[in-house]
Amino acid sequence: MSASGRVLADIRRTRRPIRLLGGSGQLGYGIPAAAFAAGLARRPDLIGCDMGSIDIGPTYLGKGEMATSPAATRRDLRRVLTGARALDVPLVIGSAGSAGAAPHLEATLALVRAVAQAAGLSFRMAVLRADMPRPLLLDALRAGRIEGLDGMPALTEADVTDAANIVGQMGMGPFRRALEADVDVIIAGRACDTAIFSALPVLLGFPTGLAVHMAKIIECGSLCCVPGGRDAILAELDDTGFVLESMHPDRRATPTSVAAHSLYEQADPFTVHEPDGALDLSAARYEAVDDRRARVSGAAWRDTTDPTIKLEGALKIGERAILLAGAADPRFIAQSKAIFPKLAELVRDLVCEDTPEDYTLRFRVYGVDAVRMVVPPDEPPPGEVFIMGECIAPTRERASEVVRACKQYLLHYGYPGRLSTAGNLAFPFTPPEVSLGPAYRFNVYHLLHVADPDAPFPMTVEQV
Amino acid sequence: MRLADLAQVIRSKNAGPRRLTLDVMFATDADYQRVAQSPALSREAVAALYHVPPEAVTVIPYPAGRAIKLVLARAVMAGDPGDSDVYGAQQHAPLLGIEL
Repeated sequence: MSASGRVLADIRRTRRPIRLLGGSGQLGYGIPAAAFAAGLARRPDLIGCDMGSIDIGPTYLGKGEMATSPAATRRDLRRVLTGARALDVPLVIGSAGSAGAAPHLEATLALVRAVAQAAGLSFRMAVLRADMPRPLLLDALRAGRIEGLDGMPALTEADVTDAANIVGQMGMGPFRRALEADVDVIIAGRACDTAIFSALPVLLGFPTGLAVHMAKIIECGSLCCVPGGRDAILAELDDTGFVLESMHPDRRATPTSVAAHSLYEQADPFTVHEPDGALDLSAARYEAVDDRRARVSGAAWRDTTDPTIKLEGALKIGERAILLAGAADPRFIAQSKAIFPKLAELVRDLVCEDTPEDYTLRFRVYGVDAVRMVVPPDEPPPGEVFIMGECIAPTRERASEVVRACKQYLLHYGYPGRLSTAGNLAFPFTPPEVSLGPAYRFNVYHLLHVADPDAPFPMTVEQV
Repeated sequence: MRLADLAQVIRSKNAGPRRLTLDVMFATDADYQRVAQSPALSREAVAALYHVPPEAVTVIPYPAGRAIKLVLARAVMAGDPGDSDVYGAQQHAPLLGIEL
């Protein structure tokens, strides 16, 4: 029997509390060794790791690349795979490869197989895919079953056909199916971070509200503690609540720190929407067990009659090249806002002599207004600034051509009152122009209404 | 006294790629109550600070975490051309200087 079958049978027989180890909220950025080892010593029934997020922006999803380095990802995978196999408990990894589309999943699976071979591990692995079939989306779109999220414009057929990758966030259902397939390891594409941890206790009949609330907290590791951190966290769930304990001795899960975690990256601290229902935290209670453990209870779950899948898609919008430079002349800094449009005209006349204006160009002046949405009018000017020019063009060569022209003509741009006639810019190194490769934007951020929110996520099982 | 001198945490982050969430957290219930009952973090005050209409701001008091949550619509979707802060992690700065 494999790990998931063994754990299911054991808890069904003994009906004891279940222990879950949140191994990492960001697998691939390094998993602190001591806390993870302390977590293993507590003999959890499942080890879970989240590996992705939409926060990292559209380029990873579009390009099919991981945000984490292969070497660090491989090291983290080795740690969690060897740990889970030593205890013979399920290892569940969600949102594989940062964005959870097919290329991210395949890259993660290749690392998992390589780690297994090098470490002499053998196991049964379920793979859950999250790529949304385009015909399914087109049918749903025509039937009016796709709506924009948070004011996102209505989806078009072109959005569906042109996106480089479109994934859906899978909920508990696909994970439940994988756990029931008697496996040791589950690697999922894009997934709700909660589903990684909630599927097993819900399958065993623990209250769904408590299981999902617990999952929402431990998927971030010890971030819910004071001081917060990346270390592993242990949760023990029974039928009336769960106890949280960081596996780092200095991190304390207090009632306030855990309650405050409900605010993190959430627009609504009282409700969490999942594919097959909603978590209601309005009656959640947080109590101290001792000075570093908190007990949480009171979360409720509301099933929905209208299941939904959150869709994420990225569209290639061109090739990006940037120009990096500093400046320290107060007259240049004071006039830079007026200089950039004139420079853009100058550059356009040069690079569009025999080619249409097929690119976008923008400048940011760090030190002045490049970061904030609103800048106070009376702010004194900075002594020096950092300037970033950014061009998005149809080809890499075109984007590079534009920023190189910008570099030369901004360096020597003559403005009223100029004293520094030998050059306006300080380059920390040359070349100061960098080609960043393809640029993407999110063109899909929508909700898909479906009868069965588990159906679009196929599973395969392989022996590693 | 400025908000930055009283609060324990003042932070911002995306809540999905189209919204920004700002959390202001306090060390004591008294500090929380002082700000929660003042107009400093009212919808109108925050809207004026961020140059957005009041309808674009949601204020959510969260006493269990001794916190006040603000939610704003992002003017530019995270990662779109022209975005300045993909994670939305540096949009808290205007809150720091609020006079209480």
